[in-house]
Amino acid sequence: MSVKRRISPIADDGDEIRFCSTCAFSSACLSEGFSKNALQDLHVLVEHIGPFHEGDHIFREGDDFNAIAAVRGGTVKTYVVDTDGNEQVLGFFLPGEVIGLNAIHHAKYPCNAVALDTVMLCRFSFPKMALLATKMPGLQTQLFRLLSQDIGKAALLAGDYSADQRMAAFLIALSRRYAARGFSATRFHLTMSRTDMANYLRLAPETVSRVLRRFQTEGLVQVERREIELTQLKQLEQLARPVLRD
Amino acid sequence: MTQVKAFFNAGQYYLAMITPPPFDADLLRRYDRPGPRYTSYPTAPQFSGQFSETNLLEVIKRSNEDPIPRPLSIYVHVPFCASPCFYCGCNRIITRDEKRGEKYLEDLRKEVAMVAPLFESDREVMQLHFGGGTPNFLSPTQLGEFMRFLLQHFHFSHSENRDISIEIDPRCVKPDDIAALAAMGFNRASLGVQDFDPDVQEAVNRIQSVEETLAVIKACRDSGFKSVNVDLIYGLPKQTLTGFGKTLDTVIEARPDRIAVYSYAHMPQLFKPQRQLDETQLPSAETKLSLLQLAIEKLSQAGYCYIGMDHFALPEDELAIAQERGDLHRNFMGYTTHADSDLIGLGVSSISHIGESFSQNPRDLPSWEATVESGHLPIWRGMNLSEDDVIRADLIQRWMCQGEIDIAKFEERHDIYFNEYFGEDLKKLQSLAEDGLVTLSPTHLKATSRGRLLLRIIAACFDAYLKPSATVLQFSKTI
Repeated sequence: MSVKRRISPIADDGDEIRFCSTCAFSSACLSEGFSKNALQDLHVLVEHIGPFHEGDHIFREGDDFNAIAAVRGGTVKTYVVDTDGNEQVLGFFLPGEVIGLNAIHHAKYPCNAVALDTVMLCRFSFPKMALLATKMPGLQTQLFRLLSQDIGKAALLAGDYSADQRMAAFLIALSRRYAARGFSATRFHLTMSRTDMANYLRLAPETVSRVLRRFQTEGLVQVERREIELTQLKQLEQLARPVLRD
Repeated sequence: MTQVKAFFNAGQYYLAMITPPPFDADLLRRYDRPGPRYTSYPTAPQFSGQFSETNLLEVIKRSNEDPIPRPLSIYVHVPFCASPCFYCGCNRIITRDEKRGEKYLEDLRKEVAMVAPLFESDREVMQLHFGGGTPNFLSPTQLGEFMRFLLQHFHFSHSENRDISIEIDPRCVKPDDIAALAAMGFNRASLGVQDFDPDVQEAVNRIQSVEETLAVIKACRDSGFKSVNVDLIYGLPKQTLTGFGKTLDTVIEARPDRIAVYSYAHMPQLFKPQRQLDETQLPSAETKLSLLQLAIEKLSQAGYCYIGMDHFALPEDELAIAQERGDLHRNFMGYTTHADSDLIGLGVSSISHIGESFSQNPRDLPSWEATVESGHLPIWRGMNLSEDDVIRADLIQRWMCQGEIDIAKFEERHDIYFNEYFGEDLKKLQSLAEDGLVTLSPTHLKATSRGRLLLRIIAACFDAYLKPSATVLQFSKTI
């Protein structure tokens, strides 16, 4: 019997023939009523790859685009480097989320993707998938859904919001994303460094800590090393509303 | 006999029950076995020489990247002493040459200049402690200059909760010196006494009058130090119940905020200075136990709370309040209220605790000097804690500080099933329960009141590194 309590909701029970029980794609196809054969075809495209270790790149800006990948474990960071050599963080990808979508209509990846900790991926070869998508409209819908979610995440930053609002929105967005995958909505690990978080939110690292320290004093969160607990979800949602717009 | 004391502190009314831990001589005799004091887990013997400067730099960098990076505690070791006390097991160098102090400070400044910039500038120093040796071997002027240097290189908290403390040998300090220390920011002092009995003092080569000691305590109070600690040792050669009783009475009358009563650990094979003691003059195990009992009785009757291990404090002292609140912590400097900081150890032999790692500086002065002067961090050994180490370290902390474990909270905190994880260790705890040291329920594990004197033994059940053979040579007996 396992001594650990938290079981990962991201299953790893698939193999060459069967999808993992929580695969982002299999449910879409099943709901469209596709036959087992169709699913078989789709599954042939999936490769379980990894582990990528902290600092390993999954793809680099300018590499030929040929596959998208779903994160099965760990966290991936995407970023670009500007002409002055400064890194600009574009986003973080949690288990169940798909990287490489922004490269779909390009010949090359427009950004870098790096593992922030030990990362496992499901790699979908794209040319083959695109072909299959023409035969399976459900698959196309699913791909578009994933793509629009990705664009939605970026909207977090396009606006004149206070540090408190940005921080609250970041935490609530993470909370919802974790919850959508079956993880706890109120307690999770901040796998990204303070510097990366600050970069993404366009804040100074000291500001990130100052805001979190204040949230902690006010009882909104409890932070211990990298682990955070959202103790006043409603209040944080309130703060985040103008940014998340829902 | 339980006393109740009422006092007011920081806007809250407290009612303290001063219940002395029951003294079960039979039990204590039976459990008088070697064991670590758990000022850290894993303990220092587990540190590895493979842990290098590169490892430490990595660990520091990682600690800077927490969403709220931890504040800092600094420990500075000053190894010099003008004269040798024969009971001493600390890292020290006997000298009267002031120039050695000056040279040491030069190298300390080099170490500070290397270490301080590695930490993010918003990480404030909440605690600074000078230990030794004899920190006041350095003159107030020298200490003042070094303090200024530290203030320039680190960001010190301005909070009134910050602790700036120093161990003092009352034999070589003047009241004016104390005032000077207070002026530079020191707000806590710890005085070495051990025993006022002249026979004992002669046997250990530490002649120190009551008058000079009381004068220093008074000077600390007059200068505004927020707390004074007195160190006593029981088990020294020629100690008697009468003599030690008088010492306790004298100290109690001076009413220091904290009193530490250490057991003398006679290990001449490890500590050369102790070879100068006449072993035949050491009190018997029975007498030693009685000395401890006397200390507990007198201190409790006088209103001191038993914090744990060797420490007593007045109920209005921060340590007693922290214990009451459940946030007492233990580190290399003993019990402390600063649970949530990373510890930076500076100087020869000092130990650092950064993130989930330990690192120790060389214990011999020449090695420390040479490494610092070559522009490298003086790391002799250390370790990165594994997940299991972190879990056990937390458990042992809680035993040593609170004397009880809330199982559900512990499971939640570490994401484990307690009984499955600690299956083997709980069997050891079961036999302690049968002996009346702990009570076990499905929800709580708790040291009994007589078990509170044997917290080390309880904690040892969960020490994954403790093998029977290791305990004999390295660790002192529990009592």
